[in-house]
Amino acid sequence: MALFSAFQTTFLLALLSLKTYQSEVLSEPLSLAPESLEVSIDSARQCLHLKWSVHNLAYHQELKMVFQIEISRIKTSNVIWVENYSTTVKRNQVLRWSWESKLPLECAKHSVRMRGAVDDAQVPELRFWSNWTSWEEVDVQSSLGHDPLFVFPKDKLVEEGSNVTICYVSRSHQNNISCYLEGVRMHGEQLDPNVCVFHLKNVPFIRETGTNIYCKADQGDVIKGIVLFVSKVFEEPKDFSCETRDLKTLNCTWAPGSDAGLLTQLSQSYTLFESFSGKKTLCKYKSWCNWQVSPDSQEMYNFTLTAENYLRKRSVHLLFNLTHRVHPMAPFNVFVKNVSATNATMTWKVHSIGNYSTLLCQIELYGEGKVIQKQNVSVKVNGKHLMKKLEPSTEYAAQVRCANANHFWKWSEWTRRNFTTAEAAPSEAPDVWRNVKSVQGHCVVTLFWKPLSKLQANGKILFYNVVLENLDRPSTLKLLSIPAPANGTELTLDRCSYQIHVTANNSVGTSPASVIAVSGDPGNKEVEEERVKGTEDGFCLSWKPQPGDVTGYVVEWCERPGDPLCDLQWKNLGPNTTSTVVSSDAFRPGVRYNFRIYGISTERIPYLLEKKTGYSQELVPSDNPQVLMSNLTSYSFTLSWKDYAAESQPGFVQGYSLYLKSKAARCLPGSEKAVLSDDSICCKYKIDNPKQKTFVVENLQPASFYEFFLTPYTSVGEGPQGAFTKVTTPDEYSHILIRIILPMIFSILLIMILCYLKSQWMKEKCYPDIPDPYKSSVLSLIKSKENPRLTIMNVKDCIPDAIEVINKQEGTRKSLTETEPTKPTYLYLLPTEKSHSGPGPCICFENFTYNQAASDSVSCGHVPVTPKAQPSQLGLLTSSENVPKALGKNYVNSLGEIPAGETNLNYVSQLASPMCGDKSSLPTNPPEPALCSEYKTQMAIPMGLASPPSITLLDEGEHDH
Amino acid sequence: MKVLAAGVVPLLLVLHWKHGAGSPLPITPVNATCATRHPCHSNLMNQIRNQLAQLNGSANALFILYYTAQGEPFPNNLDKLCGPNVTDFPPFHANGTEKTRLVELYRIIAYLGASLGNITRDQKVLNPNALSLHSKLNATADIMRGLLSNVLCRLCNKYHMAHVDVAYGPDTSGKDVFQKKKLGCQLLGKYKQVIAVVAQAF
Repeated sequence: MALFSAFQTTFLLALLSLKTYQSEVLSEPLSLAPESLEVSIDSARQCLHLKWSVHNLAYHQELKMVFQIEISRIKTSNVIWVENYSTTVKRNQVLRWSWESKLPLECAKHSVRMRGAVDDAQVPELRFWSNWTSWEEVDVQSSLGHDPLFVFPKDKLVEEGSNVTICYVSRSHQNNISCYLEGVRMHGEQLDPNVCVFHLKNVPFIRETGTNIYCKADQGDVIKGIVLFVSKVFEEPKDFSCETRDLKTLNCTWAPGSDAGLLTQLSQSYTLFESFSGKKTLCKYKSWCNWQVSPDSQEMYNFTLTAENYLRKRSVHLLFNLTHRVHPMAPFNVFVKNVSATNATMTWKVHSIGNYSTLLCQIELYGEGKVIQKQNVSVKVNGKHLMKKLEPSTEYAAQVRCANANHFWKWSEWTRRNFTTAEAAPSEAPDVWRNVKSVQGHCVVTLFWKPLSKLQANGKILFYNVVLENLDRPSTLKLLSIPAPANGTELTLDRCSYQIHVTANNSVGTSPASVIAVSGDPGNKEVEEERVKGTEDGFCLSWKPQPGDVTGYVVEWCERPGDPLCDLQWKNLGPNTTSTVVSSDAFRPGVRYNFRIYGISTERIPYLLEKKTGYSQELVPSDNPQVLMSNLTSYSFTLSWKDYAAESQPGFVQGYSLYLKSKAARCLPGSEKAVLSDDSICCKYKIDNPKQKTFVVENLQPASFYEFFLTPYTSVGEGPQGAFTKVTTPDEYSHILIRIILPMIFSILLIMILCYLKSQWMKEKCYPDIPDPYKSSVLSLIKSKENPRLTIMNVKDCIPDAIEVINKQEGTRKSLTETEPTKPTYLYLLPTEKSHSGPGPCICFENFTYNQAASDSVSCGHVPVTPKAQPSQLGLLTSSENVPKALGKNYVNSLGEIPAGETNLNYVSQLASPMCGDKSSLPTNPPEPALCSEYKTQMAIPMGLASPPSITLLDEGEHDH
Repeated sequence: MKVLAAGVVPLLLVLHWKHGAGSPLPITPVNATCATRHPCHSNLMNQIRNQLAQLNGSANALFILYYTAQGEPFPNNLDKLCGPNVTDFPPFHANGTEKTRLVELYRIIAYLGASLGNITRDQKVLNPNALSLHSKLNATADIMRGLLSNVLCRLCNKYHMAHVDVAYGPDTSGKDVFQKKKLGCQLLGKYKQVIAVVAQAF
């Protein structure tokens, strides 16, 4: 029973509760709650992806709904994000929604819940929130692993200027962890005991390889880090523009923004979207894209260019009318026709840009690289333009471009054509000048002319015609044709007067004639040359106006004065001109230019008026004169440099500077102290007269050393520093000595020459071969003794060819004065009656006054007996070494000391006198010495030694017979 | 059979160099005939020694270049970031027989070669302007290739070994940039340490 009652009670309660439920359901409207909510994470993007669906919708029912999503962090009560997401929902449709977390998802646990409500006007009764779903928890930390430390986010890529949140997750509570960015410690906030968060604001671009951010624990070897990549801000495209050239294709261009600055290049994409047509195209290239113009005559275009990379999307817009963006193609079929000397016609065609469009074409005419004509022409299809006022025989370039005349957008490219106008006859007469020389009675005229300028020639000059008109015989004409490009010719004329006509000719015609006359009278009058000073602008020349009729003036000069082909130049001037400036690029400093100014008479005859000479720029003298020194005295010397060519110097020599160095401290009068470039001090004489070529340096000191150096100077300065010449003044008396010694030397030389010339006479006078006994000094000695018995032996007294035999008493000693004359006994060698002329036996006598040694060379050939073979007494004297000995003694005494019996026979020559004597005093018929006797060469014995013995020997009274 | 073996060995060698191969691969089949494409050099051991000396001589420079290019904190935290903590690095026993040492050397060079390939690939992306580092990495890899060939020649010729099991380091392609830098630095630190020992052992 009890069991039954319990069952009954339970049944009733269940029935009651069912009834209650049924009443509730029926009383409340149907709610559409999100179901099957799933949450997933994308760590790389730090995103939570939500996925859900709504099941309670009827089949094919589609409602607009709003879903409210709540995201909490760490704990569910800490809601950090609430968002309403509206969308259209179908039954069982999977709905998705994503949320990007600022905090890396690994840093904290996240929970998500949501509820939904119908937001559809069709079902207003359902506009209330459904119940919340349960919290869906996302906890990445639990799946990280067991490492002690983690740092998030990994490899984050952000734009510079962004805010980045970094965190670390530590597994240990004890460790104190510090984190660093670029070596600088970061300070964060503790999210929970294991998690710390760092907020980096406005991060800069640091480097393209990213930035290391790391955290390390105080204890242990744990370092963990991440690399943060900060890219540069992705810029929007610039200069977005579209245009068409053919109305078929639009070409859109833009300038992409700067690079992201990361090596891991962020891929960029560019998309072109046209809103009117709704078409979209992905551009292949980074800076341009083509768009096909629709064939349905769409005029307006609204383009959106979207540039996109991983981080950002940028868009630019462009709205335009197609016909306003026409960039015409370059004109084609461009020709230059009907080209004459002064006109030409240009024709061209253009690409059509529509049936009613007109193009504006611009024509430019270039001459010598510059625009000389510019013209605009309206063109439909064909264009034509006449170019006037052209120069003959000139190269031109004509170019044309076009643009839309109604809505100018851009000019087309130029189309260019070159052409040359036709030639015309030369417009100007050639500028002619002449040079006249007289050669062997003829007049040689060299004609010069300047080539016509391009404007004057009007074409290529082919030849020049020279017509010679003899003024004395007017009917006589002579024509010369000189082919171009000659600029002159030489004519040999007689003394007549001529008028010369020169014309230039091209293929079309002849120029006006240039007339110049040559007079039979050269009329070269002497004109004094004036100096003219050149400047940087040239030479300013002026001349006196001529009183008579002058048709003009001509200034003539040579541009290369030193050259035989002096490059003659001239300048024509009007009759009222009396000055001009002659300038030329050929003028060089230091070169003297000579100018001649001619007047042109009414008969076209030039006559010389003035001469000018000058330098465009004077320089210092290029070389110094060769100085000759003369008249050197003790007090002065003279310098001269007459050969110095002052005219060839690169400036007008105004004088000379003489530098004199001396030991004297003071400079002489007329000079002043000067310091040379080597800092040495000397005295300087200034010679102001350039024509003075000698200079006397005076007031010098005798026997002093000087150095001098002479240099010319121009208005610019002195010549080059050269070597000093050394000079020493002579002693004061040396000139006197020279005056004496020179005549003496001269006299001695004269005497010597005379002596040489009169040597024979001198010999005879002074040292004859056969001395004259009468002239001997012995005579005086003899006379002084007054011995009357002593006489000079006469030739007559000689008995030739006989030997006088002298018997000498032994032991007797007598002096010369005591010797008794005895009658000599002669031993005749030849018959006395025989003539002397015949050859006979020859006896050689030794003359003891002659040198024995010298006599050896002329030993007698007739007698084989040599003196050495003579008896001993002779032998004593023949020895050369004994001669001085013997002669050194008093011969008188020596004779007395001769031992008796040693010598008792002496041979005495009967021909030769033992004394010096005059040959002229010899007998008129002297014996022939060459036949019978010879004398040996006399030895040069001192007079004091030689004389006494000879005297003794020849004194016949001395000898005992 | 010879032809087959001659073709298989180089092919497997090529496969062996594939970057990031994480699991051990047999160089040749176990029963493959030992054969080399080219005759081995007569003075093979000397060449091996020279190559080891060459590697040993350049290892430190390579290590310095590497960690310098990575930027802070690497140069100042070498012990923490670049310590030779490579757990799966092949062992080497310097006091073993020549055959053992050659086999171990082969494994080490194979391991290092693969790892250097990964490092080179990563650094070309992470530090494209560090040209001297790239050059050094390439030069080291070249020497290792030659050394591997010589060791194989030696094993084949003298010990008739045609097969050596090798293992490779972890593939870094999926790692984050900081981790790539760190693994590379650790590997090169280990390489510097090991190559000194190996060069000394030969």
